[in-house]
Amino acid sequence: MTKMIETIDLVYEYQKDEDERIMALKKVGLKVKKGEFVAILGHNGSGKSTLAKLMNAIYLPSGGKVYIKNMDTTNEEKIWEIRRTAGMVFQNPDNQIVATTVEEDVAFGPENLGVAPKEIRERVEGAMKAVGIDEFRKKSPHLLSGGQKQRVAIAGVLAMKPECIILDEPTAMLDPSGRKEVMDTIVKLNKEGITVIHITHFMDEAVKADRIVVMDNGNIALDGKPKDVFSNVDRLKQLGLDVPQVTLLAHELKNEGIAISENILTVDEMVNELCRLL
Amino acid sequence: MSIIIKDLVHVYNPDSPFETVALSNINFKIEKGEFVGLIGHTGSGKSTLIQHLNGLLKATSGKIYINDLDISQKDVKLSEVRKKVGLVFQYPEYQLFEETVFKDVAFGPFNLGLEQKEIESRVKEALEIVGLNFEEIKDRSPFELSGGQRRRIAIAGVIAMKPEVLILDEPTAGLDPEGRDEILAQIKELHSKYKMTVILVSHSMEDIARLVNKIIVMDKGKVALIGTPREVFKKADILEKIGLGVPQITYLVRKLREKGIAIREDVLTVDEAKEEIIKLIRGKKHA
Repeated sequence: MTKMIETIDLVYEYQKDEDERIMALKKVGLKVKKGEFVAILGHNGSGKSTLAKLMNAIYLPSGGKVYIKNMDTTNEEKIWEIRRTAGMVFQNPDNQIVATTVEEDVAFGPENLGVAPKEIRERVEGAMKAVGIDEFRKKSPHLLSGGQKQRVAIAGVLAMKPECIILDEPTAMLDPSGRKEVMDTIVKLNKEGITVIHITHFMDEAVKADRIVVMDNGNIALDGKPKDVFSNVDRLKQLGLDVPQVTLLAHELKNEGIAISENILTVDEMVNELCRLL
Repeated sequence: MSIIIKDLVHVYNPDSPFETVALSNINFKIEKGEFVGLIGHTGSGKSTLIQHLNGLLKATSGKIYINDLDISQKDVKLSEVRKKVGLVFQYPEYQLFEETVFKDVAFGPFNLGLEQKEIESRVKEALEIVGLNFEEIKDRSPFELSGGQRRRIAIAGVIAMKPEVLILDEPTAGLDPEGRDEILAQIKELHSKYKMTVILVSHSMEDIARLVNKIIVMDKGKVALIGTPREVFKKADILEKIGLGVPQITYLVRKLREKGIAIREDVLTVDEAKEEIIKLIRGKKHA
């Protein structure tokens, strides 16, 4: 297995005010394989965004280590290579767009890496096509919808040729069609081999991942395949999280003494299970 | 307090190359004490519509009656309308501006010219309705609080005006599930305990199905569907065609019926589905 990200006993502390220090992460150990699609869940304040920012050397550990492809994030000489390897997309599409046209915005990253103009053009072209925004290339980003803007932000990261993309609640501010556009893009990029770390509050998005990591109070509370994680309905509720409606329904039917599988995540799985019972 | 909309039309930038018809021929009635869900994808006209209800936008043509008062008339005192109809915008926490939570929530009541004592009691009540402890929070700066707390303070600022109609434009956008459930529970209480008429704009069909008693579906500036959640969510095909969905449970019920299972068609929530399925399974055992 090739490791993409590894954290060892990762601690992150900060000073909230004069007499209060917050320990946002407490000895977190996490390994992400190359090509994996990991969803990170957790209520606000659980430490998930902090963890994401440590994976991109925006924050540096207070204790422990973070390695991106075996590069230590505290090694200043490696910082650009780390950020090129693991690109980040944030929640608010309006806060991460810098240029006046879509293609210039996508070109911003590679320009700053000092890539040759001809290659910049190729990369921008490829990135825009990959997320389906090439038809808006000459448009001003502020005229685009939220979902389109987030795809511009993702293309900007892709143009840096990353091996891994970390998305910190990229769909939180979007409407359902924008969310779908962005999720379809993320799933497609993952299929093409890019490692994805997707932070979200939407359980229907987490279901699409290979693996779910649930954060609580600065620790990893649950870690496993979606089916295994979502079968802990009571624990997830206690952690302030949702489960898909059909998973909740299966759980409640089981509590009523009905012999139904608890590993149900989708409508189709539930239909099959109920057809068996009825 | 009832709201009647008659033949409402709104055109942005009329007589210019940028002319856009945002609302065309809108007609509906909302009775006092109703809890209405307003749904529609981005650009369908929801926000334009709600801005008419408290006079922020003027109708190009048509009438809007708030309790028999035609607010589309020229000489209407809009300050009176805004006292009655409170509007909470999307991401309202960005509108906080005062140095303390107290001052921020008091801003509206203060501008109504109320006495200090009344202002204080309203601020206290409004903060408590949104689940914040008055004594603990009143002297703090809104800017040092969490996003969820700031949002609740912004909502308290509107509640402190004691509106009879409360309109909320996606009040849970960007919150985590716990924060979302807290705010929705408080909105539900404003409706049931404080008897406010509530209009909730939301993209979550699950939340809408659970909370409201009437749904208005907007599409391309028109009312596409209107009715109870059971009536509206039965029309999954129409909703999907205009880019909306139905609750996951509704999809489940539809697929079960396609497979020939005789489950009631209008089941909307997890609890209802549970009861129906148990009935079917037990019924089968006894058959």
